[in-house]
Amino acid sequence: MIDPVTVEIIRNKIAGLVDEMHYHFYRSGYSTIIRETRDFSCVILDASGRLITAPPMFFHGTVYRHFCGRVLEIYGAEHMAPGDVFVSNHPYEAGLPHVSDMGFVAPIFAAGRLIGFSGSIAHKADVGGAQPGSTSATATEIFQEGLLLPPVRIEAAGIANADLHRLIAANSRQPDLVAGDIAAQIAATRLGVSRTQALADRFGADRISGAFAAILDGAARDLGAAIGALPDGAHSARGFMDSDGVERDRPILMAVTVTVAGDRVAFDFTQSGAQAKGPINLRPSMVEACCFYSLIGCLGPDLHFNDGCRDQVDFIYAPDTITNARPPAPVSSYQMANLKLVDVILDALARFRPGRAIANSGSSGALGINWGAGARPGQASLQYEILGSAYGAGAGHDGASCTATHLSNLHVTPIEILESEFPCRVTKFSLIPDSGGAGTSRGGLAFRRGYELLADGTVMRRYDRAIFPPDGINGGAPGRASRFVIRAGTAAEEETPASGRFELKAGERFYLESAGGGGCGDPKLRPPELIARDIAEGYVTLEAAKRDYGYEG
Amino acid sequence: MARTEPRYRLGVDVGGTHTDLVLLDTETGTIAVEKIASTPANPADGVLCGIRRFLDGGVDPAAIGFFAHGTTITTNALLEMRGAKVGLMISAGYNAIQETQTQARDGNPFDYFYDKPAPIAPQSRTVEIPERVSYTGAVLTALDEDAVAAGAKMLDAAGVDAIAVNYLFSYMYPAHEGRTAEIIGDVAPRVHVSLSSDVLPRIREWPRLSTTLVNAYLAPVLTRYIADLARGLDSLGITTPQRFLMQSNGGVMPFAAAMDGKNTVHTLLSGPAAGARAAAWVASDGGARDLVTLDMGGTSADIAFIQGGVPLEVTEGTVARRQVDVPALDMTTISAGGGSMAKVEAGGFLTVGPESAGADPGPACYGQGGTAPTITDADLACGLLNPDYFLGGSQRLEPGAAERALETAIAQPLNLSVREAAAGIRRIVDERMADEVRVFAAKRGLEPRDFTLLPFGGAGAVHAAAVAGELGITRILVPPRPGAFSALGLLCADVVHDFIRSELKPMATLDPAHGEALFAELEDHARAELAAEGLGQAIATITRELDMRYAGQGYELRVSLQGLGALDPAVLGEARTRFHARHLEIHGHAAPEKEVEVVSYRVRAHVSVPKFEPRQRARPTGPTDAKAALKGRRMVWFDGLTGVEVPIYERDLLEVGATLAGPAIVEQMDATTVIPKGWGAVVDTYGNLILEAEGAAP
Repeated sequence: MIDPVTVEIIRNKIAGLVDEMHYHFYRSGYSTIIRETRDFSCVILDASGRLITAPPMFFHGTVYRHFCGRVLEIYGAEHMAPGDVFVSNHPYEAGLPHVSDMGFVAPIFAAGRLIGFSGSIAHKADVGGAQPGSTSATATEIFQEGLLLPPVRIEAAGIANADLHRLIAANSRQPDLVAGDIAAQIAATRLGVSRTQALADRFGADRISGAFAAILDGAARDLGAAIGALPDGAHSARGFMDSDGVERDRPILMAVTVTVAGDRVAFDFTQSGAQAKGPINLRPSMVEACCFYSLIGCLGPDLHFNDGCRDQVDFIYAPDTITNARPPAPVSSYQMANLKLVDVILDALARFRPGRAIANSGSSGALGINWGAGARPGQASLQYEILGSAYGAGAGHDGASCTATHLSNLHVTPIEILESEFPCRVTKFSLIPDSGGAGTSRGGLAFRRGYELLADGTVMRRYDRAIFPPDGINGGAPGRASRFVIRAGTAAEEETPASGRFELKAGERFYLESAGGGGCGDPKLRPPELIARDIAEGYVTLEAAKRDYGYEG
Repeated sequence: MARTEPRYRLGVDVGGTHTDLVLLDTETGTIAVEKIASTPANPADGVLCGIRRFLDGGVDPAAIGFFAHGTTITTNALLEMRGAKVGLMISAGYNAIQETQTQARDGNPFDYFYDKPAPIAPQSRTVEIPERVSYTGAVLTALDEDAVAAGAKMLDAAGVDAIAVNYLFSYMYPAHEGRTAEIIGDVAPRVHVSLSSDVLPRIREWPRLSTTLVNAYLAPVLTRYIADLARGLDSLGITTPQRFLMQSNGGVMPFAAAMDGKNTVHTLLSGPAAGARAAAWVASDGGARDLVTLDMGGTSADIAFIQGGVPLEVTEGTVARRQVDVPALDMTTISAGGGSMAKVEAGGFLTVGPESAGADPGPACYGQGGTAPTITDADLACGLLNPDYFLGGSQRLEPGAAERALETAIAQPLNLSVREAAAGIRRIVDERMADEVRVFAAKRGLEPRDFTLLPFGGAGAVHAAAVAGELGITRILVPPRPGAFSALGLLCADVVHDFIRSELKPMATLDPAHGEALFAELEDHARAELAAEGLGQAIATITRELDMRYAGQGYELRVSLQGLGALDPAVLGEARTRFHARHLEIHGHAAPEKEVEVVSYRVRAHVSVPKFEPRQRARPTGPTDAKAALKGRRMVWFDGLTGVEVPIYERDLLEVGATLAGPAIVEQMDATTVIPKGWGAVVDTYGNLILEAEGAAP
């Protein structure tokens, strides 16, 4: 048994070195997605691939167990050497979120034995596939989403496998960006190895392993105690996504039954709909991320997540469902599905803890524009943004407006950066009045963002919530549905589904509206002074205040 | 009236709990120090009250020739949301920028009941002005001047004190904002105006808007305070026009610049900057060019690096959850102050901070009702502090209360003895400070081992040796008055103004003559500002920098053009070479084959002001003997297990050249220095106590 002071010291040191890994990676990564949106994670794992501390990009945290576990199965700890680095982007074999996310793990050796792994996952600008940027909203097989790398050794004992690097580069439309990001990512992963080795030199390999075990056990105990405080029982919840982007008339059912028994909780997804033809399927690694995120958010946001938490939780899946798809089902729009699933899980968990109930939130979506030959000289041809929405309301708490929600926490790309680098103009970026669901507490407001193309381009949008807007709770109204309107302001103006791919000409315009958050509680009970403030701030129009809230002021 | 010789220089540093004053007598080279309780309701009262003590002691106010001031007035106003009522003008159609901010959430990512910081200018005081400029600075939509006038009238009627203006691409074409300011000036002359093209003409609309809003929010607060203070100084008979305010960048600005209101946001980190400035001055004498500072006070520990005598800087920061992207000394703060509280978490983890007992109730040993064990309690329980001589005896400590708190909260749950618990808390916090230094250094490509540790603040030197040991640092410099070190920094600073202008261009297509014209414009601006502050005749050093990045990267590195002439192809080539080297230094790799872009142009104007010149004390002719300073012995438990009887020395009685061998403790009115076994100490000719690890190369 290792003393609590040493455990705390090692825990702080791991957190510090992970912070250092993140810093170096985002400061030196090349692609827009890394530098402006920070879509990546760095971690330290124990010798069996268990996560020690959660990364800021939380939903990557549940991937490593699958990825590193598979690397161990394939190669065996006994055949790994110092300086090895393994790579994969495989959603089915290694649990990566989608093909664009490339993961690296590197074994850490001390005292002649394996004591852990350093790992990282980051989005790549383009890994091939049917569409530029690889993340197609209309893919029907994973093979259309890019080059698949099962777990393979990309550096052996410190020597890069140049063949593999060339193979990856040859399959990308942005080989320089991807090569630059891979170099930065491997460097960050190696940094985790050398820093952890230095810790082992100082504390001894056994004490590092002992501290890892204590950190994992501690998190499990904390989570178990929090679950134990809930009433035993079972509650179910369900919700729908608009469609999978391919079969546009078929809503996608997500369903969960949460069963609490003592200090354990089970999440049963067997009632979820069949797997989709389009790319919104989830792998269990993502479903787990949704469960742990929701559980911690509901029970106590200060709980620590690591793979020790898995000891308290069971997952039950049925085959060939949206939450456990079979290959070659495509997965590239996983985040939209995650964010719907979180709404559903939180709905079920709220029955155990009503004070933490939250209405549905507005999710997040991606917007890509491929400029092809129209790109500015010296600049990338693919513009890619992640756009947020709004939170639902909870008792006594209005939802936050214009924000990344739940599992998504990415930065918006500045207009001044976009227009300086790409032949586009952002014509509008404004609040949408009345977009927050009415309620005693109001849902957050969504935004409208308009674009004008200054060159011909292919616009790709991946989003949800146009048909099934975010629901309210306890009598609160739903948030406003999302919209995507192309050729805006012309005779050919057309409102399209939330996901799709559109060829537009220079001079044409489009705009998107994210969805507002759902409201909580009867709108008639909202204090008039808050309604008056909302009117003054332009959050709610006078007309809507009278209609939805019965406002008389 | 006879001209009075400017014999004295005065530095006043207002902190959260104490106001420190340092008076330098340039005739004798001696320093007098006063410390009084801060007066948060009106900080100027405390400042003037402290100065009066010097005057009562016989100092002629007319002989005070220099006054420099560090204040947290703007920081506190921001933390407590006590700024001005602010209106905002933005480009029409873009009112989601201020709501969205970065779009990402700060704080705990699991807490879905998230609140953004309350808006400084809510939508109800935001006016959308039809106008639009392209990324090249071309006007797409002309400024609607009638809309500006109507908006100004509306905001004036709403009672705003200040208006912030932030149009898209204002850094490329400031004329729309300039004209807006003129119109507001005509319509609402009493209202302060902050233009984004003045405050931060830098690419990325949200950070620029945020910085501009914070400036507008705080400018009326600062100008009112400085006006009050100036009147107060006048009323005390202090006549010198040499009155300066500390900035976040470690330089000072004249009161005139503070009154102008354009630079208010540059004062947000003025407090900690003074300490780092003092350290840089220590480093400038050549003894220790590379320093890492550890300023450990009541609630937190501030860490800064001085490299080659120059403090490191950053250009992006967050204060009270607000993004403020102006140059500031590069510092990091962790919750490791004397009042930081220790607890056992549910999972059995022993953690320290971030909660702090502050000054009230304070640590358990203050006996003011605090029951949670703090770092000060742990230090006391290990025998490192003297219960009868803490803050010069003004705060008596109760060891029994400390031990009871440790017993209940830590020792019992973890099945440890009280002293083991205390030593455990110390180890955790010392390691955390060391980790913070290590990570901070690593992010900047530095190796802590190459640095001397300079602890100050009340608790810095209690923990310095342990932190140094963790980092492999073998030399520690404890200044003569650790408690007044920050205030001393005020007497060591020059006037420093920073100017920036973004224009994103690949170097391949950058016309050197165009870049030169941009620099010249910034330099004209700098000279005009100095002239407006009454420094027109002063000799200014003007330095240039470029913010550069590889095409496709999102973060820029500052590259100095020091030693290079006017921009021409050769100078740009050299700048590119320096950029690659800097990238390699910071990130461990460079890509010389890649396209490099210039993102921003920076100019820094530097005007020297008279500084504190320390006088060396003569080494006594006879043998120096530390015994004269020995005042007793007490038991100390360094590891929590074994007690050691340790000699206790009085710092003020240690002569130059006196040497000590650890374990030993040196006490003085404002600080305690712990010298563990394995360390030796010597007093240098400046009165610094130099600790060296045994076996370290001299």
